[in-house]
Amino acid sequence: MSGKMLIAVVGDATSVAGFRPLGFDVRAVEHPEEARDLWPELIRGAHGAVFVTEPVYQAIAEMVAESADRPVPAVTVIPAAGSRGGVGAAKLDRAIERALGTSMASGEEES
Amino acid sequence: MPQIRANPNRMELLKLRRRGVVARRGHKLLKDKLDELMKEFQARISANRRLRAEVERDLFAAYSQFAIARAEAGQGVLGPALMAPAPEPLLGVRERSLMSVTVPVFTLDELPETGGYSLATTPAVLDAGLARLAAVAPRLLELAEREKAIELLAGEIERTRRRVNALEYVLIPSVDATIKDIQMKLDEAERSNLTRLMKVKDMIAQQQENAEER
Repeated sequence: MSGKMLIAVVGDATSVAGFRPLGFDVRAVEHPEEARDLWPELIRGAHGAVFVTEPVYQAIAEMVAESADRPVPAVTVIPAAGSRGGVGAAKLDRAIERALGTSMASGEEES
Repeated sequence: MPQIRANPNRMELLKLRRRGVVARRGHKLLKDKLDELMKEFQARISANRRLRAEVERDLFAAYSQFAIARAEAGQGVLGPALMAPAPEPLLGVRERSLMSVTVPVFTLDELPETGGYSLATTPAVLDAGLARLAAVAPRLLELAEREKAIELLAGEIERTRRRVNALEYVLIPSVDATIKDIQMKLDEAERSNLTRLMKVKDMIAQQQENAEER
């Protein structure tokens, strides 16, 4: 599993269009649920990193969780244009909960 | 505590004692590993929070620049301007072992030149938006790499904790309980043997006494 891989961005067209000229594999979806059909292709091994916008992540969270224990692809939540943010942090909190067996209030460990 | 099925003899007792020693050593090793994983995990979490906040801020800034560009030029102009040829494999992926967890390491190749669109029809803010997005891309990949490492560490911590708990609360106590049980049974056998011998000795002494009396 080494060599060159693609970087995918999945989200609504308004948010993700800007990534296309940068050489990213942009998959624009009109509705977050459409990402469900794209997902098997994205985790097949051609993509090293997959960025999903917050609404898309919320729609397919359980599919994302299935591939959480594989080294690639690294699925990362990015905010969509006009979304409130915080979903990426929530995904991380889930990992913390998994590790510690308990959820930790945001920023608690920094005090 | 449920016990292990074992015949109460010295052979089994020795075997179980050895097993108990190995289990305790394994438990200690795994516990040390868990502590170290936790330390690594905690250190990564706070660094990651800062990086994520930064990246999200920059992305929002880029989005608003694109929104302004769209408002100025219209989707009809902006759509074709942002067209691009097939995506390129830009991401170098290696594997690294982080405390026996395989984590990916990303290196981003140079991004393709942007700007294959008419400068006359597109607003300047589009260039700025693209430049900002290109600037945030390396940090975006760093974030992906770090978050993946955190997720994989979390999985490993969960597995290790389960093993530690299984040893601590199931295997070691049941081995101890079985050892105690076998010990008790052996002691009991020893005592009953002793009383039998005493009884036999008494009987022999009685018989000798009777013979002497006759």
